[in-house]
Amino acid sequence: MAQDPLNLLCIEPRFPGRLGATADWLVRHRGYRCWFFCASADAPEHWPASAGKGLEVVGYQTGGAANEPAVTWIRYLERGLCHAYGCWEKLQSRRPQPVDLVLGRSTGLGSTLFAPVYLPGVPVVNYFDYFYHAHAHDLADESGPSVPVEYFHWRRSANAMDLLNLESGASAWTATLWQRDLYPAEYHDHFLVLNDGVNTTRIAPQRRATRRVAGRTLPSDTLVVSFVARNLDRVRGFDRFLELANRLLRRYPSLVCIVLGGPIVQRGLDFQFFNQDYASRALQENPPHDPQRLWMLGSVQPEVVAEVLTASDLHVYPSRAFPVSRSMLEALASGCIVLASDTEPVREIITDGQTGLLAAGNDPESWERQACRVLDDLAAHKPLAEAAVQMVRDNYSQDVTLPRLAAYFNDLAEAALPS
Amino acid sequence: MHVLFIHQAFPAQFGRLGLELHKRYGWKCSYLIESLSSCPTPTVEMLQKLEILRLPLSEEFRKERVTPWSQAFGRHLQLCQVVFEAVRARPDLRPDLVVGHDGLGPALFLPELLSCPIVNYCEYYFSPRRRDISYRIDLPAAEPAEFYPRCINAATLVNLVAFSRGYAPTHWQRSTFPKHFHHKIEVHFDGIDTELYKPRRLPRTFAGRTIPEDHRLVTFVARGLESMRGFDLFMRLAQRIARVRSDVLFAVVGQDRSYYGWDRLHTGQTSFKQWVLSQGDYDLSRFLFVEHLHPDQLADLLSMSDLHVYLTVPFVLSWSLFNALASGCVVLASDVPPVREVISSGVNGLIEPLFDTDRQLDTALRVLADPAAYRPLGQAARRLIEEKYSLEVAIPELKEFFERAARSA
Repeated sequence: MAQDPLNLLCIEPRFPGRLGATADWLVRHRGYRCWFFCASADAPEHWPASAGKGLEVVGYQTGGAANEPAVTWIRYLERGLCHAYGCWEKLQSRRPQPVDLVLGRSTGLGSTLFAPVYLPGVPVVNYFDYFYHAHAHDLADESGPSVPVEYFHWRRSANAMDLLNLESGASAWTATLWQRDLYPAEYHDHFLVLNDGVNTTRIAPQRRATRRVAGRTLPSDTLVVSFVARNLDRVRGFDRFLELANRLLRRYPSLVCIVLGGPIVQRGLDFQFFNQDYASRALQENPPHDPQRLWMLGSVQPEVVAEVLTASDLHVYPSRAFPVSRSMLEALASGCIVLASDTEPVREIITDGQTGLLAAGNDPESWERQACRVLDDLAAHKPLAEAAVQMVRDNYSQDVTLPRLAAYFNDLAEAALPS
Repeated sequence: MHVLFIHQAFPAQFGRLGLELHKRYGWKCSYLIESLSSCPTPTVEMLQKLEILRLPLSEEFRKERVTPWSQAFGRHLQLCQVVFEAVRARPDLRPDLVVGHDGLGPALFLPELLSCPIVNYCEYYFSPRRRDISYRIDLPAAEPAEFYPRCINAATLVNLVAFSRGYAPTHWQRSTFPKHFHHKIEVHFDGIDTELYKPRRLPRTFAGRTIPEDHRLVTFVARGLESMRGFDLFMRLAQRIARVRSDVLFAVVGQDRSYYGWDRLHTGQTSFKQWVLSQGDYDLSRFLFVEHLHPDQLADLLSMSDLHVYLTVPFVLSWSLFNALASGCVVLASDVPPVREVISSGVNGLIEPLFDTDRQLDTALRVLADPAAYRPLGQAARRLIEEKYSLEVAIPELKEFFERAARSA
């Protein structure tokens, strides 16, 4: 399984985004040289270790629709094409050479679409996140008659960039079988299904003699229930979590619920609350039984996430059917007992009763019943957590998955060499 | 059976088809269109017997002649919305089947309203290299050439995924689509009117000019006089024929407009025709230019032709080629895959490389020296159209296909 060092051009609208961790691993563990082209970047303190040491971050400028603060859904593809064009312009001026492989993630923004204009013949791998279905998955499953029909129009048109990328000759990569199967069957055979994995060196069960979270100490007899999401939105089931939290707060006087995630909805697919403070609205609709015991910590550093997962007695993942978030894998890797929604993407990772527990998303009683069983007898459920840690180490550790990815890249680069 | 056809223009591919389905089988055929076409124009019978609904497009939308390539998909989605609203406003319109052009017939949102099957008319899938708008690398480069072909198929792809069934008129057109979608695409030709386009002996007059008996007539027909249909290459050939033979007249039918490609960007001029004419020393007294002909006039012209020249790039074949073959013309065409699907060189036509004017000239001169000797090619061409591409053959096949599609609901 050859994994030679390659000259890698990564393209993603934002750095480090999804691909940053993979690029960082390839630079540090396989000797890659990487240019990471992006339109915007997180603050440098959030950049991975290899930034500036083998991984060069290169910003590209966008024009046209990509620079407008907001565009209607009808112009989403146009915005993506502006990204792809801006990236090509930067390639033309920056002229990275040589490039053995291009790795991109469009998230609808088409970043790699025009890269072959500058790099003809260089293999391109695209990471594909999600293929929209008009009336299924995520929030569409529960859309009622009040939802405007334009929402479904948008969903019918939203895959245009992914389809262009799939037809551009790029090799397709996605993290789970469920994600692959969302795409038209005609493409399934072309997909590499491989999770980009969790850093199990950094994220692993910790001894917790004293539980501290964000500078606050938790008494040893406190039960801790955690919820983690990038943003507290409906897709990740924050509404469902609040319902469960209130039931548990009423029942267990010593229980604390810790919530991590920003309040503003950033996913366009939640058209109803996009760009709004959904967390506050949800709390108004379902006020916390005891606000003192509902810790809303907002967006936090990775160290605080690790503290929360270490302190957690029960991690709740009530997401609607959507690509499984990294936080769930990190919770499993941290040795949490995870209670998750019984959806296809979750079932691909968690086996109910073996590596975690599953509950029907729209059945609050089921969530409460299962949570109480865990909280009433933590020791009895410890084997679930131990099995989850082992399952992640075996299947989802970066050290397991990324060598396979490196070998895949190696093969593609090798095949593209002139014979 | 009630079929709702959706297309940018009428009659285009669906007008005659609907009329035949109505006349032969009593089907009801309705149309949602942007505008009536000027090439070909609708017949009075079509306008009387078919229900044609024009989309309520804003003046602003109608006036936009050139859409920037990055906005083409957005414009398509706007049309999809207008189609959706038009159908929503007509709750009585309950077709058994919808047939939409995959790029120009925006049916994408109709499943929100209609439960009947939707069939894609899969006309063409563009390529970033070596076909269609990317083929004429001999012309000055156009800026979008590297970019637009990589995103031009967005609407086609979304439709291909959305609908489970489609058809293409020729095997080559089907082959332009990604292989993994071929299982969704059947091949059914639109149908040529072999009663209208047939060999006939008529007095040789055209555009008010009598063609002397001892003169030869070379014809060239295209919707627009543009590079993709090889207008410039035809003029190069015609100029050389004219130098060799003083007894040849050239009838050129087509609008001074480029429908495909980037002629304006290639040449820096709005008129490709004028740009071509400015490039050579043409004796224009030998050329009869006509912008547009009604189908019966075109049929008359083709029946007078001693040699019909068709120099397309690899792209959807023009109806004019099929009309010429049906009329029994001796056709000299470019050696490209879509042409080769129809014409076997030396059997029912003649084929020469698109850019090889020397060979085209040799072949053309041989035909013009002895038209009678080449008449069997024209007769074979006529037989080919009768047997494979005529309305008599095509309409029953399409009827059967539509019935099958409607049953799949």
